Amino acid sequence: MRQKLINGLVGIFVAMLLGAGVMVMQGYQPIETYLALFNYSLGNWYSIATTLRNSVPLVLTGLSASVAFASGPVNLGQPGQLLMGALLATVGGLYLDLPPAMLLPILIFLALLGGALWSGVAALLRYWFNMSEFITTLMLNMIADFFTYWAISYWFFDKAAYSPMTPPINQNGWMPEWGDFNTSVIIMFIAVLVVWFIFTRSLAGYEWRISGQNNLFARLGGVEIDRNYMWVMLLTGALAGLAGGLVVLAGPHRFIKDIGANYAWDGVMIAMVANNGIVATLLYGLFFAILQTGALGMELITAVPSELIMVIQAVIVLVVVAGRGYLEILASKLAERRKMRERAI
Amino acid sequence: MKIAIGLINGMITAATPILLAALGGTLTFYAGIFNIAMEGMMLAGAFFAVIGSYFFNSWLMGILFAVLASLVMAVIFILFSVVLKTDEFVTGIGLNLFALGATTYFLRQIFKVKGAFSGPGIVSVPNIEIPLIKDIPLVGEILSGHNLIVYLTLIITIWVAYLVFKTRFGLRLRAAGYNPTCLDTSGVPADRVRIWSLIICGALCGLAGAYLSLGYVTLFSENMSAGRGWISLAAVILVNGNPWGIALISLLFGFSDGLGLFLQRVLPSQFTSMVPYVATLIALFVYSIRRKETVLS
Repeated sequence: MRQKLINGLVGIFVAMLLGAGVMVMQGYQPIETYLALFNYSLGNWYSIATTLRNSVPLVLTGLSASVAFASGPVNLGQPGQLLMGALLATVGGLYLDLPPAMLLPILIFLALLGGALWSGVAALLRYWFNMSEFITTLMLNMIADFFTYWAISYWFFDKAAYSPMTPPINQNGWMPEWGDFNTSVIIMFIAVLVVWFIFTRSLAGYEWRISGQNNLFARLGGVEIDRNYMWVMLLTGALAGLAGGLVVLAGPHRFIKDIGANYAWDGVMIAMVANNGIVATLLYGLFFAILQTGALGMELITAVPSELIMVIQAVIVLVVVAGRGYLEILASKLAERRKMRERAI
Repeated sequence: MKIAIGLINGMITAATPILLAALGGTLTFYAGIFNIAMEGMMLAGAFFAVIGSYFFNSWLMGILFAVLASLVMAVIFILFSVVLKTDEFVTGIGLNLFALGATTYFLRQIFKVKGAFSGPGIVSVPNIEIPLIKDIPLVGEILSGHNLIVYLTLIITIWVAYLVFKTRFGLRLRAAGYNPTCLDTSGVPADRVRIWSLIICGALCGLAGAYLSLGYVTLFSENMSAGRGWISLAAVILVNGNPWGIALISLLFGFSDGLGLFLQRVLPSQFTSMVPYVATLIALFVYSIRRKETVLS
């Protein structure tokens, strides 16, 4: 635990140091810039509420990737699953007219369904034809991207708009706000809790974890690999779809082009840097949200382009993951030396 | 007739970047590296090709910059996956996103634009008219007048096929994938062979990137590699790394790309843009059926 924490902090420190180096080279003030960044994302209640809301898609797609990678399936289809979830939730919000207490759960269910359907396609291709989900999910991402683009340009196009987008959804389907806080954050925490419970406390989760660690052992122990594979793909797809649905319900309340931004790939990075741990995914997801929210403030106040944060994120991932491998080797060496010394006495 | 020639030329144009990246990918495939950083290497190449071409007013400098940038990416990959033994999958994904972030950042920093940069200052790689052949009707229209990099790609395909199957380096390369311990004990460090395979892969992906931004079109736009690196990875996996097979598959993808453009007359452009990705899925499907049959017989 302590080793993980040190590793993470060192990685973040090194990445920010490199970022500072880039800033100095281009003539910006690094300390002032970082202060602006954290002030904008954590400075007051409103900033914290914004950061929390921005963390929703990051944490949920990160969770999706974490559960998938830890259980075996290389589901890289979060971008497409997110878009399909967002589309289905939007369509539901456009055509259903119900009171909020009924509409909200239905829209959230539609978001889950949209993501699960799209990951289900990849899962079935694997199940029937043994096509590796690694490439099929990537291709399905591109297909979902163009499909949703088409849907919002023709099918559900808002005639009053100049660029491709749908009309706003029914107001009863908007995520309620408590002061500055959006309730999508609560859904996110519930999702994290449910997934944590399934993954670490239930029989199914145990089977997923051992299948991910040692597939042969799991199969010999009587785990039904295919069925578990299906469930993991559906669950992780649903989580990514939920991320997309909540982005629509909490934010612009309609499907705009590029609504998925880079959330899903950031989520994959978060899963990697968190080593597929559920709690670590939540923490890194929050941290990435702090960086991304603060990036806008950084740009406003110090004129450093917000895109710099994308570079810093990738560096954090590489440094933390490489450092983790190296620290493990180092730790085992130290333990060995200690054992030798004890034996000598 | 004109449509047929257009389709064939479109096929060759669209196949070139995929083929170049896949040839690089096949070297690392033989060396036993799970290299998924082609996408990022290509993107870095495409951006720095524009930088070199714009600031030096020369397409040669563009290609040089593209290859250098892509090599830097390859060196980072080597540092993490070969030297520090970081997971190759994580390194690849991290590098791809690093390339995306860095090119977007520099696009804004250097050219002060968001989205895309094009301008009269960018010198594109010239097309080559082959004397004599260009005067033959039909054949001339198909074989002559392509971009310089297209002809380079043809030569590189032959070179890679020769390198892998006929040279000592090729033998060691395949050994590094089949049985690295055996290679190590026979006195050739497998890691050194892997490093070379990654360096060549970097150079080829850089060239592919240069073709994207200086040949295919003359501009750079955010994330302009658009999944081509992933398609080239699929191509490598589909034919188990055989360079000639890769050439054939790349031409098929190129054809589907051209077909998509052709279909734009009847379908919305969003659907025609999907064609290459659907084609990849179909190719994977055919591959899996064929493999099942060989297992049964």
